[in-house]
Amino acid sequence: MKTEISDAAAPASAAFEPQITAFVCNWCTYAGADLAGTSRLQYAPNMRIIKLPCTGRIDPLFVLKAFENGADAVLVSGCHPGDCHYTSGNYHARRRWTMFRKLLALTGIGEDRLFFSWVSAAEGQKFADLVNDVTAKVRKAGPFRATNPGRRA
Amino acid sequence: MMEALRQEAAKLLQEKRAALVIGFADRPGRPALFVSKPEDCGALVYDAACRQNLAAYLGKPEIRARLPVALVAPPAVLRSIVVLTAESQAAAGQVLALAVDRDAFLGTFDASRAGELLRAKYPDLAPEPALLERVRELSRMSASERAAFWQEQFAKCTRCYACRAACPGCYCNRCIVEKNAPQWVSTAALGHGNYTWNVMRAFHQSGRCTLCGACEAACPQGLPLMTLNAALDREALEAFGSRAGYDPEAKPMIGSWNTDDDHSYMR
Repeated sequence: MKTEISDAAAPASAAFEPQITAFVCNWCTYAGADLAGTSRLQYAPNMRIIKLPCTGRIDPLFVLKAFENGADAVLVSGCHPGDCHYTSGNYHARRRWTMFRKLLALTGIGEDRLFFSWVSAAEGQKFADLVNDVTAKVRKAGPFRATNPGRRA
Repeated sequence: MMEALRQEAAKLLQEKRAALVIGFADRPGRPALFVSKPEDCGALVYDAACRQNLAAYLGKPEIRARLPVALVAPPAVLRSIVVLTAESQAAAGQVLALAVDRDAFLGTFDASRAGELLRAKYPDLAPEPALLERVRELSRMSASERAAFWQEQFAKCTRCYACRAACPGCYCNRCIVEKNAPQWVSTAALGHGNYTWNVMRAFHQSGRCTLCGACEAACPQGLPLMTLNAALDREALEAFGSRAGYDPEAKPMIGSWNTDDDHSYMR
């Protein structure tokens, strides 16, 4: 938990490369990411994927921990509504995210830092497009370190 | 009004309907007063200076050992009692509410009936206009302005957890902030731990906060905690039609779902 995502190793002159943490569910989005890979789709290498059993297992604390450790943005992705492997995990998660994103937006972590999506196991192309799109948006928003309200002191 | 409250409290103790009455003492800061003898009920007071939410005591083992208890309850505290009933933390026949309003004593209500009084007399409890204005003011800021605002506020936090102690909703025996294997929230009173603590505290109250204001009143550093609570209260109402503390039978907002919940922000 202590590992800090650091760009200290990169030369100071290097262009900004966003570091994005993705929390995805095992059954849909992770399989979709896998399909993107086996389909040889090229997409931005800026995302680090953390696989969990279900979006219902993604505690909002995980998101805060990622930001605290230096993530420029966080993506949360899981099964489409009705497709949850555990029937209702994503429905539970959806309510939580509606409240949590409102709370984070009010405290300074806005829509250009926190992304949500549904990606099924068949949507390899959607996953690749999503990663490219999120990476482009975060690249435009710039490094989050300076304005992140929850950054390490 | 005060006399009616005292008489009723004495009557409840006399008739052994309550073993303990929790009210407010006539001292500066209006601390809680625990009365177990009918003749001591004359010391009870209630006025606008009484900011503590006495339902917070219902989670304490010392109080649980002395059930049934009666407590002085303005509307927001009635809501807290309903929330605790819905969450199986208070049971019918064990908690009595001495319902009070600004200048009236409204009678004694069992925990199971507090919701009826609320629905009949206060169907639309909402954040005070001044509090809503604080939310609107925050909404008008840009993301970086909001971040700077909260960084400045949270920097004052000493992590005394008075907000948690004051809140009837914070009754976990072991709070997430005390878990250390792994340690989820840094306990140092520094930027990142303070941010995580204050955000998670507000989030754990979403759909459960009754807007009593006890957390903000208890904060020795004067953090505007109610701004976040009020914003989430409005969001719960707008997004899910959820108002905590009106119906002990209602499903909790977090922990239930509808297939047609909004997900317009999902890509």
